[in-house]
Amino acid sequence: MSPEFETFLARLYTDAPLRARFLAGPREEAERQGLTVEECVALERIDRVGLELSARSFAHKRTLKASSRRARSWWNSVRAAVWRRPRH
Amino acid sequence: MAEVVVADAAASDRFGLTWQPALAAGILANLDRIDLVEVIAEEQFGASSRATRALETLAHQVPLLVHGVALGPASTAPVDVRRLDKLARLVERLEPVFWSEHLAWVRAGDIEIGHLAAAPRTAATIDATAANLSRAASIVGSRPMVENIATLMDPPASDRSEVEWISSVMTASGCDLLLDLHNVHANSLNFDFDQVEYLDRLDRERIGAIHIAGGCWIESPGDERRERRYLDDHLHDVPDPVYDLLVEVGARVRRPLTVLLERDGRFPPMRHLLWQLERARAALAEGRLRAQRCGQGRAQRNGDPGPDRTKVCDES
Repeated sequence: MSPEFETFLARLYTDAPLRARFLAGPREEAERQGLTVEECVALERIDRVGLELSARSFAHKRTLKASSRRARSWWNSVRAAVWRRPRH
Repeated sequence: MAEVVVADAAASDRFGLTWQPALAAGILANLDRIDLVEVIAEEQFGASSRATRALETLAHQVPLLVHGVALGPASTAPVDVRRLDKLARLVERLEPVFWSEHLAWVRAGDIEIGHLAAAPRTAATIDATAANLSRAASIVGSRPMVENIATLMDPPASDRSEVEWISSVMTASGCDLLLDLHNVHANSLNFDFDQVEYLDRLDRERIGAIHIAGGCWIESPGDERRERRYLDDHLHDVPDPVYDLLVEVGARVRRPLTVLLERDGRFPPMRHLLWQLERARAALAEGRLRAQRCGQGRAQRNGDPGPDRTKVCDES
């Protein structure tokens, strides 16, 4: 796996419009990315169901992580506010 | 003597759970039934000083393991040194029995995939993964145990099977295996292979720890030709085939094992998690017993006065 191939795979997992374009014409899209012939052939044979389900699962994980980060940041700001409140 | 070795291993097997804040009270109240606790490294990186102190206190009560989920060593890119520094500090502070990481990649440049992705199984990724694991070991101060992952997609551009790729990474890196039995089960369902054959193709003496977990079936989107895949989600109970596989592990592996139940959400009552842990104990013990009987049977058939320490039971 070349770094370019790895980056393209990561984009396929995370970028829905790119994935739709790719699934409509895998070879063409892979060639447009400047991948090697072997990499283009491998992508032409990609496990399409697996790609869609993986992308969906990864998107779900990213959403969970983002909401967990938001909750943590909200809790930290509440704690900081309580900590700063003058005590009598 | 083989049965003595197996019996010794059985006496040293340890069973535990992954630390979750929602399970904290239950874990602390049941430390007599939990031998060790696994801590997710990345969840500690941004933790408050109070949470950190609580964890250090826990480390005095029960052995800990540190488990990484976001290093992504199975990549052509070098692993992030800042992440490794954080990991090294955590390992230094908690003094875990061992630390572990997944044989996965999780990002490319600034694109975060969000979870563990299977690397294309090629010679290039074996070398790159081994180099990353070597870098990790030199910064953290010890080699990680490496874990096989579950995948919904057969990684493109692969030229070998999953088990071949994992075995080669273990050989090239010198890292032992944290064998996730639920991941083996999930992949065997998704890609139609025999999970016991998979187990037989691993170097059994390099298996040092076991993960068990649960999952569910998911369906492909769209109305036409819906296909199912099995997802390792850590939100369901451990299915029976995973316990069956744990019996097979017990029958094959002579060294003491650490077995961890992973549960990340939809938490059942603590007694239900402990019951699953007890089932795991029983399954591993059953496998150990099978190995012991097999060793005794072989000795009797051969008319040996004493059992052979060098042989492993292959009759299971």
